[in-house]
Amino acid sequence: MANRRMVSMAFFLIAAAVTAAQAGEKNAAPSQKIPKGAKVFVAPIAEGFDSFLKDAIAKKKVPVEITPNRDQADYEITGTADTQKASTAKKLIMGNWHSREEASITLSNIKSGEVVWAYSVHQEASTHGKRSSAESCAKHLKDAIEGQ
Amino acid sequence: MQHKRPPNSLILAALVLSIATYPRFARSQENGSAQDPSKPANEAKPASEIAKEAAPDLKQASSDEGKLATVNNAKIPSYSKVFVAPMMGGFENYIIAGLRNKKVPLTVVVDRSKAEYEISGVSESEKAGWAKMLFIGVQNSNEEASIKIAHLKTGAVIFGYSVHKTNSMRGRQSAGEACAKHIKQIVIE
Repeated sequence: MANRRMVSMAFFLIAAAVTAAQAGEKNAAPSQKIPKGAKVFVAPIAEGFDSFLKDAIAKKKVPVEITPNRDQADYEITGTADTQKASTAKKLIMGNWHSREEASITLSNIKSGEVVWAYSVHQEASTHGKRSSAESCAKHLKDAIEGQ
Repeated sequence: MQHKRPPNSLILAALVLSIATYPRFARSQENGSAQDPSKPANEAKPASEIAKEAAPDLKQASSDEGKLATVNNAKIPSYSKVFVAPMMGGFENYIIAGLRNKKVPLTVVVDRSKAEYEISGVSESEKAGWAKMLFIGVQNSNEEASIKIAHLKTGAVIFGYSVHKTNSMRGRQSAGEACAKHIKQIVIE
């Protein structure tokens, strides 16, 4: 009787172990949804791009709430930005006065530590400088939230 | 004299453990990793020795603008957790954006301790000078980047890729997307 009980217990344990091992082989796809009205903290970005980004988020009516405190936020925006003013050569030879803008931002979930959204923009001749690239980021963030 | 036999519960536990760990062992054998997963590969070994060991396994393949190298056709399981280490000029952000743009099935995490793989590398951007504008009539920059992917547990470098773009239309964004496109090739979907 005791032996039969042992065998059944062993069978159960082996089955459980095999199931657990098979489940561990495949990683589950993360749920990358950004809820409307999520609290977002914009971390300082080079050349004050974070200020332009905050303005753009307000201007483009992105459905998120900007918080000045990281502790209160659900998500965090980090990134990098680079501006290159038009050089004399560019003005004289190419006849172009506009600056070259590059920016890349990532939105990560503070709790889980997962990056849920990312975007990069490059404008060879930006009419409104950093404002244009920040608005481009905000527009695509809005699309990502509303298009879910 | 009585022989002490191990208790049945111990034998059972050993059996269960061996069955549970077998798939991982088999997978690591498939990937060609001859290292013991329980021991970090770079333990008590200088970096130069590790590089020497990894180099013979690297298989190179040239693409249109870059060079790709994978170790024994190593693959990354989909939705593995990847940490992108900070790079010069914030290039890590462009790689993350590229991974998303190219729909690479990986989960990027901001905490290195939660990750299974790490992407690290260098990048350089060279803006167009007056001579380039005058003689060629081009104002686009030249971009260079080189990345590698390492398995954090074993410390083994499983993938390397370098890209050089002359007159890059979208600057660092193009280089980041090129890296992401080639990372996608080694991810099992």
